[in-house]
Formats: sequence, structure tokens, C-alpha cells
Amino acid sequence: MSLAARKYAFFAWLTVMTGLLMNPALASAAPEFSPEDEFALPPYVSIEVFGIDMSINKAVVYILGAAILTTVVVSLIARNMKVRPDSRTQTTVEIAYSLMKDNITDGNLDPKMAARWFPFIGTLFLFIWFSNMIGYIPLPLNTSHTMSIAGIEFPTFALYAATANISVPLVLALVVTVSYHFEGIRAKGVVKYVRGWVPAGVEGFMVGPILLIEVLSHIVRIISLSVRLYANILAGHLLLLFMGGGLVVLLGMGLIGSTVLGLATGALAVVFFLFEIGLVATLQAFIFCTLTAIYLDGAVAEEH
Amino acid sequence: MILAAVDVETASAYAETAGRAMGLGLGTGLAALGTGIGLGFIFGKTIEAVSRQPELKSEIQSIQWLGFALTEATVFYGFIAGLIAFFV
Repeated sequence: MSLAARKYAFFAWLTVMTGLLMNPALASAAPEFSPEDEFALPPYVSIEVFGIDMSINKAVVYILGAAILTTVVVSLIARNMKVRPDSRTQTTVEIAYSLMKDNITDGNLDPKMAARWFPFIGTLFLFIWFSNMIGYIPLPLNTSHTMSIAGIEFPTFALYAATANISVPLVLALVVTVSYHFEGIRAKGVVKYVRGWVPAGVEGFMVGPILLIEVLSHIVRIISLSVRLYANILAGHLLLLFMGGGLVVLLGMGLIGSTVLGLATGALAVVFFLFEIGLVATLQAFIFCTLTAIYLDGAVAEEH
Repeated sequence: MILAAVDVETASAYAETAGRAMGLGLGTGLAALGTGIGLGFIFGKTIEAVSRQPELKSEIQSIQWLGFALTEATVFYGFIAGLIAFFV
């Protein structure tokens, strides 16, 4: 697509989005606004297996989207690699590859470990990155509020991210935890690995309390790793939600007050949106993978 | 006059709502205070380090982003604790 065509496509998309946002039916159809509804997960398809709720809902759609993007986009680009990159897409992927390879894995792990764990850390990075990024594209997945276009009820556009739900980062953090404990035990054996948690020079009765603190620190790692990613994305979405109109609706200050406040918070929403997609989405994927690499290195390191 | 009209149950319900809101506000606000100081330290020290050793700029910057993300996350621990206080 040429640059001019892309510009027109962008403006067409912007017009449609603005039109949808200013749809009077939409405004009147949402008499009660509660911010937590934005994160509610009504099931699209109800599935229950042995009493466990396995319904397909908004979060599942986002996870699948991120997983499909991770595998399809990267393998398609890898198949059409050229020695002299003629597309910006390949250059972008090469920058991402260099970040994952040189900075995250090679920078924190020794060569043998880096070669072994690069596929895992790279996949983790791309999955979290895609999951964060598609979270900032408004998608028509909000079925709790609908809008009618020509008599048909459509779900409204909403922002959501799989990583803004604690269960997804928690599962990723648990996978990382199991991986680095496994790697540590494989490298040193159970007894030597657990003994390695206690710093050299600690002797006698102090071993017990220090070991307890170390065990606690490994549990806290799971919490900090998952909550860091989850809370960053959740807070970003809440900020965009409040700045992009939530505050105006909640305060309800009349026509003039709402307009002034809406313009001010709307401008802030654009700034925060750029901050989120420009920095937070990539930085959180980066930090998650860097910490994974650091934990893996710490598990196999000889000295504590 | 209004106080006299409110019975004990309503008053305690108001107090609970107020306490929850204060938990959210104070939790996030105090966490933001500490995080702000921490972030100031990180960027200030980075500027200092880069002006001393400009040739190490890229290396220092990658550590700076690591420190930024780790420090920035602490505000969200307060925020999540506030949300738990508010909703749970």
C-alpha cells in the first residue's frame, strides 16, 4: 500500500471510530456507567468441563489473538527473509530479534544457556508484546453494552488486554518459576541447588532462618513478576478509560463543564495512549523476559 | 440537621465506603510518592553517569530502563492493594 493510500485508510478508520463514539444511540444506551464493567468477562460460548468453567470469553479471544499473531506473523516474515531488507516490517522484526537475542538472552546468560533458552524467552517476549499491543486497539468485543446499527445489535468497541487479567501473567510467571527451578536442579541436583540458596559463609544455626527468607523470596518473585505486568497494563487501561470519557460520565457536570473537562482529559488520553504503546507495552515485555533470564542465570550460577 | 436524620446503620455504611475510598486513594498516592522519588533518583543518576562516561551511554540506558520498570512497578503494588481494599 502506498503512503497516500495508507493515509486515506487511516483517516477513514478515524472517521468511522469517531462516528461510532459520537453515536447518540450509544450515549443513551449506557445510562449506568461503572468502570469495572470494562473488565467483566461475560462468556461468548459457555463450556463447562467437569465443573470447571472453560467458557470462551473476551480474555480467551485476546490470548488466542496474541498466540496466533506471535506464531503467524513471525514465521511468515522469517520465511520471506531477504539479505537486503526491502520492507520496514523485516527491519522491525530484526530490531526485535536483536533486542531478544543480544540484549535479553546473551546479555544475561552464558552462551550455552542462552542457546538453550532463547526460543522460550523470545516466544515469551513476543507473546507478551503482541498481547499488550492488541490491547490498545479498540475491538468490537464488549457484549455487555451493545449499539444498534440499522436495527442490528453490535457489541461496542472496547479496550482490553489478556495481560490486564491477573491469571495470564500469573500462569506465565509460574511457567518461568518452574523452568528456572528445573534448570537449577538439572545443573546441580536437588540438595546442592537448595543449599546454593544460602550465601557462602553462613554457618550453623543461621542457615535455617536464611533459608526461610530465601524460600519466601522465591515465592515473592512469582507475585512481583506477575503483578508487575498485570498492574502496569491494568493501570494503563484504567487511565485511558477515565481520561477518554469515563471521568466526564462519572462526574456529570452539565454540558459546558463536561465539554471543557472532556477536551482536557481527551488530550491527556492521547498523551497517555502514546506513552502506553510507545513505552509501557514494550518495556513490560522486555522486563518480564530480562527477569526470566536473570532468574535462569541465578539458578545455574555456581556462586550465590 | 442532616446528621440527626441518618441512623447508625446508614452512617456505618457511609463510613465503610469512605474508608475504602481512602484506602484506594492513600494506597496509590503514597506509593506514587515513593515511586516518584525513586524514578527521580534513577534518571538523575543516569544523567550523571552519562555525563561522566558518555561512551557508555547505550549500556547505561539499558540498565536505566530496567531500573525504571522495576521502580515504576512499586506504585502498582500500592494501587493493587488499594483496589483490593476498595472492591473486596
